[in-house]
Amino acid sequence: MTLASVRGSLARARTAAWLGWQVEGNWADPVLFAIYVLARPLATALILAAMYGAVRAHGGAAGPVAAAAFTGFFVANAFHNYANQVLVGLGWAVFDEREQYETLKYVYASPVGMFTYLAGRSLVKYALATVSVLATLLVGWFLLGVRWDWAHVQWLPLSVATAAGLAATLFLGFLLAGWSLVLARAAMVALEGVSLASYLLCGVIFPIDLLPSPVRWIALGLPFTWWYEALRRFLAGHGTLGMMQRFTDAQVLQWLGLTTVVFAVLARWGYFAFEREARRLGRLDQTTLF
Amino acid sequence: MSGSLAALAPIERRPRHTGARLFVQALLARSYVRLVGSLREPTWMISDAVFPNLGMCGFVLLYRALGAPRSYEALALIGGVLTTYWINVLWGMGAQLYFEKMQGQLQLYFAAPCSRLAILSGMALGGLVITVLRSLVGVAIGVWVFHIQVAPFSPWVLVGVFVLTMVALYALGMTLSSLFLLYGREAWHTANALQEPVYFLSGLYFPVRTLGALGAVAAGILPLTLGTDALRQVVLGPAAHGLLPLGKECLALAGFGALFLVLASRSMAYLEALAKREGRLTQRWQ
Repeated sequence: MTLASVRGSLARARTAAWLGWQVEGNWADPVLFAIYVLARPLATALILAAMYGAVRAHGGAAGPVAAAAFTGFFVANAFHNYANQVLVGLGWAVFDEREQYETLKYVYASPVGMFTYLAGRSLVKYALATVSVLATLLVGWFLLGVRWDWAHVQWLPLSVATAAGLAATLFLGFLLAGWSLVLARAAMVALEGVSLASYLLCGVIFPIDLLPSPVRWIALGLPFTWWYEALRRFLAGHGTLGMMQRFTDAQVLQWLGLTTVVFAVLARWGYFAFEREARRLGRLDQTTLF
Repeated sequence: MSGSLAALAPIERRPRHTGARLFVQALLARSYVRLVGSLREPTWMISDAVFPNLGMCGFVLLYRALGAPRSYEALALIGGVLTTYWINVLWGMGAQLYFEKMQGQLQLYFAAPCSRLAILSGMALGGLVITVLRSLVGVAIGVWVFHIQVAPFSPWVLVGVFVLTMVALYALGMTLSSLFLLYGREAWHTANALQEPVYFLSGLYFPVRTLGALGAVAAGILPLTLGTDALRQVVLGPAAHGLLPLGKECLALAGFGALFLVLASRSMAYLEALAKREGRLTQRWQ
């Protein structure tokens, strides 16, 4: 790979990001668009806070351990916006281009390349998710009293974990985008299902101990489970109670790294396999009027 | 030749039925399409019956993690079941005319010789029937997966409150559908943006009373808030931590139903005329 080809890819990704921004944001003025982007994550955060408040008002969830546990769930819920926006959003981009605007075939016919195009589209999704995460954490900190001790924040492991988590999100996003190429009408359902299943499987708002035993093993095989545990430990200062306590901080990072690499390799291979299959089945320009 | 032309001359045909009979027939016809359409695509059944309950499972497990009383799990279960209806109202009613526009068949609705309200009512009836069946999945998950138990209650009162809630909720959906008629992508985004905030304002996963004054305001705007609270009071009694006495909530729900039905009728007539004047009825990909 030469420097010129890297520059070419970056330029194409930048163009795709600009196009993605136009698709995502040009239907509304900036204020309305900001409300739209923030409404969903903030509402979910407020639901969690109201649930915690209701339990506390009736004598449950008392003490610093419960408060720390809730802080951990709240932080993980905030970062789960990346999964909602990027992981699932790339699949939606494929679905929208094919079904809604009927432009996917033109993207294929252009010299950009679908993989680079999706990478560019992901940049906008990352930006929107970052805004959502920050807004959720700020609302939590200033309005809901969800706070942590900054002195206990472990910046280096937190940065490493965040980089790995974001990479895992992107690669799994590619896999879902590839899957969406093959699925026709069912893509909508599959994407929504993955979004909700990831919320349950990764123990975003509860310890994975509460999941049935076989499902718990699936949860441990997902990079997001380890990413959210790392966020709880390195940002909020407390890991989840239960089986996750068996793992040291270093082991959490190791498992996060390992599962991320495995998923990255699988996702890249899976994306191109799905793409080939979609071409063979003639799905790239198939519309179903869902 | 002239004889055959004379036979073709009276092209203006009157509909076989008019008035109330036509209204009911159009209503039943649209309900039939909604029912058959919903059952024809198996993946939609999964998305409508199972997915709303996955979120509910997460919230029930959060209550367990926080050591909440078991009655809170029942609260979340009832809320989770009601999300199925809100999703149907939002996407199956509110955004439906936008989908029809995108598929290029909205103009057929307006060319039909029946009342628009009959079509909307048919969509509501068909959607409600199919959603009742799907919401049973949530009840099954609550009973068999989470082993949630409740004290005995009157099924007749439950049915009465449920009907009042659904009339108010689907009448709101009919009003939303006419509002969305004007819009393109905004309709999709608005429906998306209304989902979780309404879950929050309706207290679907926690007692509405927790919201304090905000809960009271929400109850004055959203029938789902009052309906959720009323249904919980019927099923859970005092453990529901109700917002208002059940009788008052039922009266308010009946008022909501009447108000939104009138609003739906008026807004449909007004917005249809506006959409025609601005040439948006057949506009696609905007």
